[in-house]
Amino acid sequence: MSNLKIAVVCSSNQNRSMEAHSFLSKKGYRVRSFGTGNQVKLPGPAPDKPNIYDFNTTYDEMYRDLMRKDPELYTQNGILHMLDRNRRIKPKPERFQACPDRFEVVVTCEERVYDQVIEDLENRQKGENLPVHIINIDIQDNHEEATIGAFIICDLVTILLDSEDMDDDIDEVLQEFESRAGRPILHTLIFY
Amino acid sequence: MDEENVSLVYLSTSDKVVELLNQASLMQRDAQKANNLRQVQELIIHKEENLLDNFLDEMLAFQTDKMADIRKIVIGFMEEACKKDPELLPKILPCLQMLLHDENIGVQKKVILVLAPVFKVMIQWLCKAKGGTPEMTEVWEMMGKLKVEVFEMIDSENDGIRTHVVKFLEGLVLVLSRKTQESEIPKNVKAENEITLDSIPEYNKYLKHKKLEDEGKKTFELMLQFQASPHISSINLMTVMGSITNIAKQRPSFFGKVVQAFEALQVNLPPTLAKSQVSSVRKNLKMHMLSLLKHQCSADYVNQITTLLTDLGATNSEVMKNMPVIDESRKRKA
Repeated sequence: MSNLKIAVVCSSNQNRSMEAHSFLSKKGYRVRSFGTGNQVKLPGPAPDKPNIYDFNTTYDEMYRDLMRKDPELYTQNGILHMLDRNRRIKPKPERFQACPDRFEVVVTCEERVYDQVIEDLENRQKGENLPVHIINIDIQDNHEEATIGAFIICDLVTILLDSEDMDDDIDEVLQEFESRAGRPILHTLIFY
Repeated sequence: MDEENVSLVYLSTSDKVVELLNQASLMQRDAQKANNLRQVQELIIHKEENLLDNFLDEMLAFQTDKMADIRKIVIGFMEEACKKDPELLPKILPCLQMLLHDENIGVQKKVILVLAPVFKVMIQWLCKAKGGTPEMTEVWEMMGKLKVEVFEMIDSENDGIRTHVVKFLEGLVLVLSRKTQESEIPKNVKAENEITLDSIPEYNKYLKHKKLEDEGKKTFELMLQFQASPHISSINLMTVMGSITNIAKQRPSFFGKVVQAFEALQVNLPPTLAKSQVSSVRKNLKMHMLSLLKHQCSADYVNQITTLLTDLGATNSEVMKNMPVIDESRKRKA
């Protein structure tokens, strides 16, 4: 079962999905991470002044851009540290909607992202028509929550991948997991 | 590229296939063997299809491989082979029947999944028949038996099997019903590959319109019954909801029944669902209702659909955004 492909998806493929990506790949899982937003957004000098990039900008370019803009601010709020971690994992953020590859499990980090993933998969050209499980666990978009979230996602993925027959066990696994983790879980299955 | 593969570059396609199959039969590792078989499939189905017949038996021999993943690859190959050459159905269908009872659940699911496209290939093949042949009769009867076996699997104890059976039923209904001008066909379905009741010739030894249509309706009823079963799991429920939505959009004669079934479901969700499963199901239902509302057939059901959507928490703007463009001529007819 451990050869199942997993995707972790948040909005900008920077914090929550990358924390989980880093965590899961260290454990040896076949994981990739994505964002569903139209652009990549990072906090800026004020809440209404975010730094906005497109998905083609590399983590390294973002790092250097912010380093040039205000090294003190972006060191202090942890953004540079995060980008440094990200650029060691892969070159640049990836948009879920632009990825044609198949996964068996897609974990999303907020309801809006879950909706966007479902909408995208429903409207895709149906290929092999194989099932994919979409699971949402709400994780707030800050460093501490992303760390906790990565633990929770890893925990869940481990249980699911240990199961001999995931399709049969998943309903029960998720219910048990939900009460243990104390977070509501959304789950659906799509054939594509 | 490893050394073995470098030497393959200079061989003819046929020699290459022999080499790949020989290597595969000796390989112990799943992934390597799978890779070789996929290469053979590519070569004999897409590159040089005249080789398909020559190497069919060699490929089919891997259906008894001890690794379930290899058996699944062979099942995928069987589907592609039938699509390429329907004359292979008499040879392939018995293999699928055997694999449907494989000890591995994943293998069973793979068979159920390919049976809908294989069924389509069979209908297209039989359409061309004038008088019929013993092989055709054999295939027709065997498919009849296979369908019954899969129908029975809707009561399987395994959740995943039931989900896959639902997808098979969906495929069956889509073939055994009529396409109309209002049918919303998914973008990847090519018109020339589509086979529906209206494209089946009137006089055929095997394919009798009335019988086929009745079978389609009965299959659809089976799906509605399944959706209404009180102990249905949330994942089965969401699969069948998605399937009947697909049917409604592609086969408008079922549209009204699907709206009705969703109305009934909304007031009577299975009591066995946990709280968050209810949220997932309601979210799903809302999504399907919005896509039904968008469909031009919704004109006759706008009130029911919008009421249901309001109950499901849809905002006014969501509803308005998905309102169908009502064709005046249709409106008068209604």
